[in-house]
Amino acid sequence: MDRRGFLKFAAGGTAGLVASPIIWNTLYDAVYWTQNWGWIPRLKKGAGEYLPAVSKICPSGTGFLVRTVAGTPVRTIGDRNNPVTHGSITSLAASEAELRVSPSRIKKPLLRSADGAYNAIAWAEAEKLLKAKAAAAGKSVAAISGDPTSCTNEVLSAILRAKGSKDFYFMPDEEQPALAAWTSMGGRGRLGYDIENSDCILAAAPVLESWGVVAGNRAAFNRHHPVGAPSTQKLIYAGPVQNNTAAGADLWLPIKPGTETILMLGIAHLLIKAGRNAADFEHGYTPANFKEFADLAAEYTPEKVCAATGVPAQRLEAAAAMLLDAKAPLAIAGSELGSGGGAAPVMAALSINMLLGRIGSKGGVVCLPDHANVVKGAMKYSEIMARPLVSYTQDVASGKKPAPAFLFIHAANPVYALPSDSGMKQTMQKAGFTVAVASFFSETCAEADLVLPATLGMEAFDDVQTPYGSGRITYAFARPVVKPFGEARPAGELYIALAQELDVQLGVKDMPDLLYQHAFALGTPFRQMMEKGTVFTADSAAPLPKMKFNVRSLKAALSAALPGDAPVLAPVVVLGLGTAATSVPPFAAKTVTDYQICGKYSVAQMNGATAASLGVRDGDGLRLTAENGATAEVIVSIFEGVMPSSISLVAGLGHTAFDEFSRGKGTSVVSLTGITREPGTNLPVWGTAGLKAARA
Amino acid sequence: MSAETKEFKIKWGMVIDIDKCTGCGACMVACQAENNVAPAAVGGNKLRSLNWLTVFRLSNRKPFPDHEVAYLPRPCMQCGKPSCVAVCPVIATDKREEGGIVSQIPPRCIGCRYCMASCPYHARYFNWYDPKWPGDLSQALTPDVSTRMRGVVEKCSFCHHRFMKAQELAVSQGRDPYDLPDGAYITACTEACPNGAITFGDVNNPKHKVHELIKSPYAFRLLERLGTDPQVYYMSKREWVRREGDNYLENEKTGEPLKKLG
Ligand code: SF4
Ligand code: SF4
Repeated sequence: MDRRGFLKFAAGGTAGLVASPIIWNTLYDAVYWTQNWGWIPRLKKGAGEYLPAVSKICPSGTGFLVRTVAGTPVRTIGDRNNPVTHGSITSLAASEAELRVSPSRIKKPLLRSADGAYNAIAWAEAEKLLKAKAAAAGKSVAAISGDPTSCTNEVLSAILRAKGSKDFYFMPDEEQPALAAWTSMGGRGRLGYDIENSDCILAAAPVLESWGVVAGNRAAFNRHHPVGAPSTQKLIYAGPVQNNTAAGADLWLPIKPGTETILMLGIAHLLIKAGRNAADFEHGYTPANFKEFADLAAEYTPEKVCAATGVPAQRLEAAAAMLLDAKAPLAIAGSELGSGGGAAPVMAALSINMLLGRIGSKGGVVCLPDHANVVKGAMKYSEIMARPLVSYTQDVASGKKPAPAFLFIHAANPVYALPSDSGMKQTMQKAGFTVAVASFFSETCAEADLVLPATLGMEAFDDVQTPYGSGRITYAFARPVVKPFGEARPAGELYIALAQELDVQLGVKDMPDLLYQHAFALGTPFRQMMEKGTVFTADSAAPLPKMKFNVRSLKAALSAALPGDAPVLAPVVVLGLGTAATSVPPFAAKTVTDYQICGKYSVAQMNGATAASLGVRDGDGLRLTAENGATAEVIVSIFEGVMPSSISLVAGLGHTAFDEFSRGKGTSVVSLTGITREPGTNLPVWGTAGLKAARA
Repeated sequence: MSAETKEFKIKWGMVIDIDKCTGCGACMVACQAENNVAPAAVGGNKLRSLNWLTVFRLSNRKPFPDHEVAYLPRPCMQCGKPSCVAVCPVIATDKREEGGIVSQIPPRCIGCRYCMASCPYHARYFNWYDPKWPGDLSQALTPDVSTRMRGVVEKCSFCHHRFMKAQELAVSQGRDPYDLPDGAYITACTEACPNGAITFGDVNNPKHKVHELIKSPYAFRLLERLGTDPQVYYMSKREWVRREGDNYLENEKTGEPLKKLG
């Protein structure tokens, strides 16, 4: 072909192509097929409603509005009429409409077969099995509840009592050590904090993220910090990591993990030096042992406290000055993990409150009544609180106590939430038959013989009785504003039916009846709570206790070895990553940050000096070995908001059950910690650990 | 970039008080749920995951113990002079409606991603994959916002559907839909923040709280000197936080009157 021929051919070809539809069709197809979607979700249409309900998975029982469309919940939003939350909502409660239909939600009763697989069975069969096993177990029954605010505990504990067992336990939480501290110092009933009315809070607990009635705490924080106007409440946060609570605090007191008690005594020392003494005590009493406490506090000079805790001296003094300046100061202590804390930090915080005359004062420490029981034969709340689950499971694991023939686990995931030396797994393995009543398929469900799907707070009748951390008596109903998902059933109804089958006389016929009796006992209109979802609140009228310092226990706890300069674990909890029982909610997975997780590894935050001493840099791999032998591969991230020698890991990762939003990601912080006993109180404590770190 | 700032009678604006934000992420969760943004199993990977609203952690860059931390939630800035609008070849994004919200019409988007490159705030996200709601999760989709498809860009809309709803309600009650009372229209993130860190309203309307808030000496906008004229304002009493908002030179004071560049 000559040159002219080639040009003709090319021109003709181009003209032909342009004229033909091939190019356009190909382009169209390219656009179509690169953007087309095999499945397009249909949006629901239908009548919409906003119904007040409560979350039973958020530890503080957050009240919210459930937005439904044609009866299906699509959103949970803050409820401005709620007298506890005033419209605040936690990131966990905000994701509940999606959690309700999450892949790990249990839809049917599941029975474990001999090969370990779970097969769906009918409810009738499950109930028959439940009754047969419970009846056959005689008095060898035990139960664990992860929901201390619910009246279903009364039903479960009454069943146990009727069968002759007292082995009813709560999952470890903040209240157990706090109550031990409170009662040992002369407190009666329950310990509460009037956070709303305080103008200066010293908190050795993550009060703005996970401690206490978080949504209520944050509503108070909101009101005390009006946008564009001066704030009316100061917050001093003490902890090893600049966490979310520190971000909202006026002053951060960086302290080594496990040194809260020393810090509090150091502050007590400064308060006494400034003239706060027995003369300042209100309500006409003086603790007989003030002198003894003052002698102990005198040992905790700023030099000693700064050396032991690592807090800079000026900040310690600034904190004391802020408390002295305040009209209604309040000291709070808890644990970073929300469980496994000791009683001594709370005793020290209560001592500060005593020095400042804050027991029973507005914006101070509140004395709340014990939960009232309406179910016949139910165990007393304080009695259950006083007996740690871990002591039981360790005894069962070691053979000191017989394993239960029948073990009930209600709304809890102890296999994940408790350290490996808690004996929990062994207790489940040794138990004759274990039943997990849960909404999501957890690590504990994966060890149970029978798994029963439970409803959420928006799907059934239940209640929220004053959660720990509240400064008032509060009472809310969980109401079924939407249909249960799958074949989930209300746990309360299930237990009442079981009691009836076992001929246990409860004195209540069903959940509404149980709620009615509670409302009646509190003198609140039942119908309004039932129909409109109103929430009852009242100030406590409990008589003020005569408090004394618990110098002996404080001294004993202070005798424990201090963390040295070796790396130590500093856990951080973010409620967005869910609880042990929920794991990471699907819609919260994107709130996980690159300083919490990197690929499938947890990220360890530490300050530059710590990293240099370990010979690692940002992004390096690090192998952590804990005192209990557990190891974890983590990625280093430099963050100057961490105490020297502390290695910070976020809790809530490292799940082996649940769904793709949480399974197989990162390390479980709890797995790195072991249980020790707090000197003086002998309470089981965990949550921090010495770590050996080597480059990986 | 378009030469003139587009002015409207109503200008929806957001004031985020950084000193009140504690980084909990409730606003992000609410935004996803409200706007049917699909969840992602690898949420920690910020290159891959798609968020209309992202909370960033700020640092004063000082070593321990003088280190300070702050959190900055970043929605779309709904710029007065939106660089994305100027570059979109198919007008899939525009700013022309009363209220000043920068629109985004996914079915019109051809996925060229020029807008993403031009947005100085990284507020735009591309659907590299089909959005997925595993299992029964699609049951919780809201009826207000269409789901998007692979191959298109999406971003925060100031929950535009809530604006329309508030206007419809006003009309049905015989009120002026162009004079909504303060609080009649707020975004999902504003509503969700337990700390009340986000305030929303019409910055042009003296009856709205944001009208005063933006005049605070502590108020600032992100990368203000680029001249994009964002409708999202931030506030912080901390000088270092305000400095993080723009590229200040060492010797410059924060909040100095802007010298026009070129
Ligand atoms: S919800 Fe509020 S406090 Fe939480 S991250 Fe968002 S803006 Fe900050
Ligand atoms: S305004 Fe609406 S779309 Fe924008 S970030 Fe907030 S919740 Fe998301």
